[in-house]
Amino acid sequence: MNLQEFLTIFISAVFIYNVILSRFLGLCSFIAISKETRPALAMSSAVMFVIVMSSAITWFVYRFLLIPFNLTYLRTISFILVIAAFVQFVEMVIRKVSPQLYRAFGIYLPLITVNCAVLGVAVLNIDMFFMNGKAVAGSFYYSVFQGVCVGLGYTLAMLLMSGIRERLELCNIPRSLKDFPLAFIIASILSLSFMGFSGFKF
Amino acid sequence: MKNFIKEFTKGIIRENPTFVLVLGLCPTLAVSVSVVNGIGMGIAATFVLLGSSLIVSLVRDFIPDKIRIPCYIVIIATFVTIAELCMKAYSPVLDRALGIYVPLIVVNCIVLGRAEAFACKNNFRSSFCDGLGMGVGFTLALILISAIREFLGSGRILGHTLIKGFEPVFVFGMPSGALLVIGLLLGFFNLLKNRKT
Amino acid sequence: MKNNLIVSGSPHIHKEESISRIMWTVAASLVPAGIAGVIIFGLDALWVTLVAVIAAVLTELVFEIWGKKKITALDGSAVITGIILAFNLPPNVPLWLPIVGAVFSIAIGKQVFGGIGQNIFNPALVGRVFLMASWPKYMTTFAKPFSCDAVTGATPLALLKEGKLLEHISYLDLFLGKRGGCIGEVCILALLVGAAILLIRGYITWHIPATYIFTTAAFTYIFGAPQLFGGDWLFHILSGGLILGAFFMATDYVATPLTARGQLIFGVGCGLLTAIIRLWGGYPEGASYAILMMNAATPFIDRYTKNRIYGTR
Repeated sequence: MNLQEFLTIFISAVFIYNVILSRFLGLCSFIAISKETRPALAMSSAVMFVIVMSSAITWFVYRFLLIPFNLTYLRTISFILVIAAFVQFVEMVIRKVSPQLYRAFGIYLPLITVNCAVLGVAVLNIDMFFMNGKAVAGSFYYSVFQGVCVGLGYTLAMLLMSGIRERLELCNIPRSLKDFPLAFIIASILSLSFMGFSGFKF
Repeated sequence: MKNFIKEFTKGIIRENPTFVLVLGLCPTLAVSVSVVNGIGMGIAATFVLLGSSLIVSLVRDFIPDKIRIPCYIVIIATFVTIAELCMKAYSPVLDRALGIYVPLIVVNCIVLGRAEAFACKNNFRSSFCDGLGMGVGFTLALILISAIREFLGSGRILGHTLIKGFEPVFVFGMPSGALLVIGLLLGFFNLLKNRKT
Repeated sequence: MKNNLIVSGSPHIHKEESISRIMWTVAASLVPAGIAGVIIFGLDALWVTLVAVIAAVLTELVFEIWGKKKITALDGSAVITGIILAFNLPPNVPLWLPIVGAVFSIAIGKQVFGGIGQNIFNPALVGRVFLMASWPKYMTTFAKPFSCDAVTGATPLALLKEGKLLEHISYLDLFLGKRGGCIGEVCILALLVGAAILLIRGYITWHIPATYIFTTAAFTYIFGAPQLFGGDWLFHILSGGLILGAFFMATDYVATPLTARGQLIFGVGCGLLTAIIRLWGGYPEGASYAILMMNAATPFIDRYTKNRIYGTR
C-alpha cells in the first residue's frame, strides 16, 4: 500500500477509465439528468455518497460473509440487495432528519439503486482487489478510495456535460440531433479528450 | 394470438429498447466491440428478460405494492446469476470478454423497466411475448451497433475481412467510438422519423 | 429585403470588422508558419495543408446546403479549421488522412452543434484527436527535417519520453524549426510572426497565450527533472505544439471563456494539463488534449466568471 498505488487508482478512475465516458456505467442517469447544472450536481453528490458507502459495505459482505461461507456465487444477488437496502435506509434517514436535503436530492435516491455505477464499482472492487478468494493487502482502503475516485469521475463528467448542455440551449442544433444524439456525440468527444491521459505513469 | 404477436413485435421496432426507449445503454455500448460479444450479451439479457417477466407476471398478485421493486430485483438477480454461472461454465472466453457487464444486467433498466411497466400488470402469456420481443429488439440493436463498430474498428465482421486494404479506424473499438456510433444512429433514426411526419 | 431591417440592442456602433474579415486575417497569420513548414519538410507539407483546407470547406458547404442554411463556407472559418488541422499532422501522412480528419472536424466538431459560432470544442482539435486515436501509426511517424525521402525521425518530446538525451538539438534549432514534428508547429519564429499580427490587430488578447505558456514553463521547471526546480523549461516551451496551441488553438473565439478572468483560468488549466500529460502521460505531447478538456470546461468557467451587472447580485 503506497502513495503511487493510490495515484494510479485516482488517475485511472477519474480520467482514463472514467466511469461514464469509458466504462459506460451510470450512462442513463448521465444522459437524463445532465441538462442543467443544479440537478446534475445534486445527483452527483448523491451518487458519490452511495458509491463510497456501498464500496465499504459490499467489501465487508464479501470478505466476512461470502468468502468464509463459500457463497461467492451469490455475489450479484447479495450486493444488489445490500445496496437497495442501504439506499432505502438513507432515503428514510434523510427524509426524517433533513426535509430540505430530501427535497434537494431525495428524488434521485431511488434511481440510484438501479444506477449501474454503484453495483459496477462494487463488482469491480472485488475483481481488482481480491486475488484467488483472498483480499490483497490494503484492499479495503483501495476499495473505498476507488469508490471516492469513481464518484469524482462521475461528478466531473456530469458537471462538464451539464455546463455544455446548458449552453447548447441557445444553439441552432439540427432538429434530428437535439437532446440524446448530441449528448452522446459530446460525450464521445469528451471521452476522446480524456484519452490524453492514457498510459499515465507517475 | 394476434395480440401476442403484437406484444412481440412492438419491442423490435416501435418500442425498440435501445433506439426508441434509450434504455440499458451501458451493456450496449460496453460490449459492442465485436458481433460475437454483442450476440452473447443479447442472448444473456433476453434470457433474463424472459425469465423475470414470466415470474413477475406469475407472482404479481402476491407481492405487496410497497416492496415490489426489491422483489423484482431479487427475481432478476436470480436469473442473472443463473446466466452468469452458465456462461462461466460453458463459454469462459465470452465470460471474460463481457466481464463485469454480465452481473450488471441486474441493473439494466430494460429488465426492471419491463417488470415495472408491463409484467406486473399483464398475464404471463403476454408478459412472455413482451419479454421475448424486448429481448430480440435489444439483441438486434446490439448486433447492429457491434457490426458497425467491429467493421470500422477492425475491418472485420465475425472475424472475416470484408474489404482488402481498408485501414481500420481504431477509435471505433474504443469507448468514444461507441458513444459516437450510438449518437449518430439515434440521430439517423430521428431523421427518418422527422422525414416521415 | 427583410434582412435590411435589423433591430438589435445598444450600443449601435458600426465597425468595419466582420466575421469573414477577422477569419481571413487569422488564416493569413498562419501563412508564415505554413511557408516555414514547406521549407523544412518539402512540398508534402503543402499538399497536406491544401487537401485539408479544401476538404474542410467542401464539408462545410455540403452541410450548409443540406441544412438549408446561409452559405458561410467561404467566410474563412472552415479554412482556418483546415489549416490548423493540417498543421497538427506530420508532413508525410497519406493524403486521405487530412481529408478524413477535415470532414470529421467540420461535421462532428462544428456542424452538429449548429455551425459557426456554436461549437463547444475547437473543431480542428476534435479532428486531430480523432485521427490520433484512429491511426496512431501515421500520426506518430515524423519525417526528418530537410530530407526529401521519408526518413523517419522522432520529435524531440518523443525522444525525451523515451529517455534519450537531446544534446544534439540546440535551442536555436528548436526556435527555427530544425526538428521532427508536425507541419505547423516546428518553426517558432514564423508562429510568433503570425501571433504578433493577431495581437497587434487586437484579434486575440495576451491572457490565454501568456498564462498558458507561463504555466507550462513553470510546471515543467519545477517537476520536469528528478530533483525539484531543475526542469528544462525553455526546451518545453520551444518543442511540441505549445506555441501553435497557445496562440492559435487555445484562442478560438467560440470555445474559450469570454471574460479576461475566465481566460486566465483557461490558460492556466491548459498549461497544467499540457505539462502533466507531457511529463507523466502516455503521449509525448498533450497540447491538443489539454485544450480540448479546457474547451469542455469553458461553459463552466464562463458561468462563474461572468461580469456582474452593476446593481445586481
